[in-house]
Amino acid sequence: MTGTARPWCSMSEVARARRDLRRIGEVVWEIPAGARADMRVPARVFADAELIEQIAADRSLEQLENVATLPGVREAALAMPDIHQGYGFPVGGVAATEPPDGVVSPGGVGYDINCGVRLLALPVTASELGARRERLVHEISRRVPVGAGHGSSLRLQDAELDRVLVGGPTVLAAEHAIGTAADVEHTESRGCLPDADPGAVSPRARARGADQLGTLGSGNHFLEVQRVAEVLDAAAADAFGLWAGQVTVLIHSGSRGLGHQVCTDYVRRMDAVVSRYGITLPDRQLACAPLSSPEGGQYLQAMAAAANFAFANRAVLAHRVRESIASTLGPGVAAGTRQIYDVAHNVAKLEQHGGAVLCVHRKGATRAFPPGSPEIPPAYRDAGQPVFIPGSMGTASYVLAGRPGAMERSFGTTCHGAGRRMSRTGARREITGAQLRRQLEAQGIVVRCPSNRGLAEEAPFAYKDVDRVVGVVERAGLAARVARLVPLGVVKG
Amino acid sequence: MPAHGPPRAYADRHPLMPYRWVDHTAELELRLDCETETAVFEDALLALAELLRDGRPRDQQTVEVAIRGTDRATLLADWLDELVFRAETESLVPDAARRIDLSAEGLRAQVLAHHGEPRHLVKGVTYHRLSFEPSDDGYRATVVLDV
Repeated sequence: MTGTARPWCSMSEVARARRDLRRIGEVVWEIPAGARADMRVPARVFADAELIEQIAADRSLEQLENVATLPGVREAALAMPDIHQGYGFPVGGVAATEPPDGVVSPGGVGYDINCGVRLLALPVTASELGARRERLVHEISRRVPVGAGHGSSLRLQDAELDRVLVGGPTVLAAEHAIGTAADVEHTESRGCLPDADPGAVSPRARARGADQLGTLGSGNHFLEVQRVAEVLDAAAADAFGLWAGQVTVLIHSGSRGLGHQVCTDYVRRMDAVVSRYGITLPDRQLACAPLSSPEGGQYLQAMAAAANFAFANRAVLAHRVRESIASTLGPGVAAGTRQIYDVAHNVAKLEQHGGAVLCVHRKGATRAFPPGSPEIPPAYRDAGQPVFIPGSMGTASYVLAGRPGAMERSFGTTCHGAGRRMSRTGARREITGAQLRRQLEAQGIVVRCPSNRGLAEEAPFAYKDVDRVVGVVERAGLAARVARLVPLGVVKG
Repeated sequence: MPAHGPPRAYADRHPLMPYRWVDHTAELELRLDCETETAVFEDALLALAELLRDGRPRDQQTVEVAIRGTDRATLLADWLDELVFRAETESLVPDAARRIDLSAEGLRAQVLAHHGEPRHLVKGVTYHRLSFEPSDDGYRATVVLDV
């Protein structure tokens, strides 16, 4: 009758995990592999003293220990400073597994496959935008469907959807004049993960995604109009094409229902076969299969298809933003709006690390390759890969650049945001959506959000301090700050 | 999340709140305490309806749902997943379970629902902490939703 493989950890195990935590560097903490009989590698966290207190308050550390039990996991189960309790993997978790016997876990990517962020830079300053700011935000909110029940105006036939699942935004640029070749060039993996197979995506997943290409979704997804408040690394900012006072637009969304269903399908499929592969798990949501198994291979093919759908989704959203810019500020400004980059923060990728090919799971964590990496567009190669760290609503966001320490210490990875520290319930106990809307507007931020409840759940105090989170990854040598962005307006579901 | 009151007729049958949302840093954790196995499935639907509700139900219809599965915990996750799928693909907002027949092979249900605009998005019904156990008063179940 029970569905659990083992009784869930009690809160005393939270205390035990906290007790076993050791500081091994200025901003590095570790629970040794010997802390639990089933751990294969240590659980390692990048954090300062204040953040580690917040992290240890929920089940994040237990969940990270659980990740350290996965077959084939190498070096350590890692957590970025924005880690918080999730399901299966913690959000902010990173695990690298080695083929052929190492596993791939759909829960290590999450339901929102290739949730990520894309940054656009306008050729105008915030001063030049001036009073047209509200109209721009309003126009974006009119053109971008948000929330749960609003479909896209872009409907693809089955064969068209197949091509997008295989090719990502390149297909939209070629067949629908959505996005440009430069946009594709400035996208992680050029917006196309290899080996994507539409045949590995279920009809149920296709049905969920059918009318969602170019939709924002709800929850923590948003679209923010911003101003570059501060340039912190002039050379890198120059390489990226960012300058003080410039207007930018940050887009945060993912693979929508199609990706959610791919995760659902494969968690269930792997849950049914873990015992066949002799795998014992501390949490059913960690369901996994060897990378060399049929289930593992087909998941990677389906996940790649969903990831390409997500890149394409953000390409359509960017297209809608450019349309809004054209109607508000003129076609010349729209034409001059450049895509700085687009990064994924929920994905598993086969990468070279330490002379081996590893499957790097990043769940709520961002690839951050250092200068010189051939994976980085030539224009950015001396600066390092651009990384975008959205802060909470009403606070700053950051542009970072990957540093060599990321390859040495975190499988080329850094954080992905501020990281929640308070539940949605807790946030709504503290503030109503109407109150928060007034507060943001009093700060001069234009807000377009149809749901007061959804707005309250994303209150800034529900998140960790993004300055502190970014400070940790900089001190750890994973990424360096390039520019600080502040919000002018926000659209969310 | 405060559990808004269920319909009065339902409250008469269940003097104690049968479901509650447990604090979770990022997601929604649903805890169900019910007298019967069937009631766990009925109340899980009510909890989901609280999330998806888009105003006063209108033009309600009865839809059939059938799910195969022998393990009750997995069946509970699949039940909610089916309701989430229909909400997202058919804009079908569930209001209540008219009838649920549980058997050794699975579940057949008649669900009262209406076409609308689901208010909240549920990305996935997870297996994390998923449980369905006998308790002193009947059955206790837990399921975590990714939202």
